Amino acid sequence: MAASSMRQFRAMLRKDIVMELRTKEMLMSMGLYSLLTMVVYFVALSQAGSAFDPRDIAAGLLWLAFIFTSMLGLNRSLVHEKDQGCLEALLLSPVDRPVIFFAKVIGNLIFLLIVEALTIPVFAFLFLQGSEMVTSSLALIPLVLVGGSIGIAGVGTLLATMSVNTSGKDFVLAMLFIPLVYPLLLGAVTATGAAIVGGPEALGVFWTGMAWVFGYDVIMLLASYGLYEFIVGA
Amino acid sequence: MGEREPSAPALEVRELTRAFGVRKALDEVSFSLPERAFLSVFGPNGAGKTTLIKVLTTLLNPTSGEAKVLGLDVVADAVEMRKRIGLISHNPLLYPDLTAEENLLFFAEMYGVDEPHVRVAELLEAVELDHRRLDLTRTFSRGMLQRLSIARALLHRPEVLFLDEPYSGLDPHAMDILDGLIAQIRGDHTFVMISHDLDKGLELCSHALILARGRVVLFEPRTAIDERVFRETYRTTVGMGVA
Repeated sequence: MAASSMRQFRAMLRKDIVMELRTKEMLMSMGLYSLLTMVVYFVALSQAGSAFDPRDIAAGLLWLAFIFTSMLGLNRSLVHEKDQGCLEALLLSPVDRPVIFFAKVIGNLIFLLIVEALTIPVFAFLFLQGSEMVTSSLALIPLVLVGGSIGIAGVGTLLATMSVNTSGKDFVLAMLFIPLVYPLLLGAVTATGAAIVGGPEALGVFWTGMAWVFGYDVIMLLASYGLYEFIVGA
Repeated sequence: MGEREPSAPALEVRELTRAFGVRKALDEVSFSLPERAFLSVFGPNGAGKTTLIKVLTTLLNPTSGEAKVLGLDVVADAVEMRKRIGLISHNPLLYPDLTAEENLLFFAEMYGVDEPHVRVAELLEAVELDHRRLDLTRTFSRGMLQRLSIARALLHRPEVLFLDEPYSGLDPHAMDILDGLIAQIRGDHTFVMISHDLDKGLELCSHALILARGRVVLFEPRTAIDERVFRETYRTTVGMGVA
């Protein structure tokens, strides 16, 4: 990345963080939504009885919450730009479109990781208390979170840019995002599940899941990078 | 990147077409504007004026045809071109949750402006907003936002300024400031202004263009324009359904 692009990237990221710290709109809405989802899960699963082991479905529940939470934030991150024509002003400046894309991706990634970091202790407290855990495999969870969140932020930022100009942007984003993120979900749930359950075979399953996640990240980031210029100019 | 001939026009538009689906917002528009000219673009709503500005400022790609600004192609040389143009829109194009100073400093970084703090202070003073520099722009009135928007557009000292209904919603004081700033830089800049106000547009322009249904109805230098005939042409275009 050229020095001027790096400076522009830093300026965009700083601007997004300053604005979010000032308004707390994304973090508050995503955080509250995520915590409420945990409460709903807890109420729904409290009827399941003692024979049920929450560890079996914990990974799926977590990633479902993260996927829906991220959609809330992704839409808001672009709506801010759309307000009062700010996106036009940004596109009018001599910045390469991929620099805008990557600054948005990193901003969304940071906010998503913050919300995930707040959600996981609540989830563990509600569902995994007293469950048998292998500490060494649990330490792998941050790696899945980062890998999965990179994919969500990458594809989500691209799709949010596409949908921000449409009249039913929330609906359009959901319709495009969920099918596209499905392969990532498979990999992330597999890896997270292996890290939570642990055991002798867990490491192999974990890395198979991670291979899916990182493969998805690379392919989707490259595709989004290539498509972004076309999408904003279309 | 296109090398510029010394006598090349500031704007050169050839058979420019921009379609949205089957509807052509611009339909084979052609004209050429010399450097340091002031072009006023008139036309009814939906005539294609804003689409023309968006294509000329690289915000939209043309469907076919060619457009060059300062000898630079709007598609092939877009990044280089953006360093040399500015846009003042009826939208302020400013972040409401940043202060006036933060907004200008952000855009100064995007344009790679030298000594950004000095330039920002100079422009805030020019638009008489230096006393509100630390206030969030969401607390600004329409006129103040527009004045700050003018400062944003002038930050990087653009050679061509595009004005999309810049007087819309301005109070008389803000209008005077905008008039003053245009007068100050008029001699060494090229202007393209969309206006619904015939009097203001004709008062400022060196060239006038009427668009209707995406086509050029009239393009003349101001000196060749008979104001009565021009007004009649405009009235016919706007009022009698031609547009």
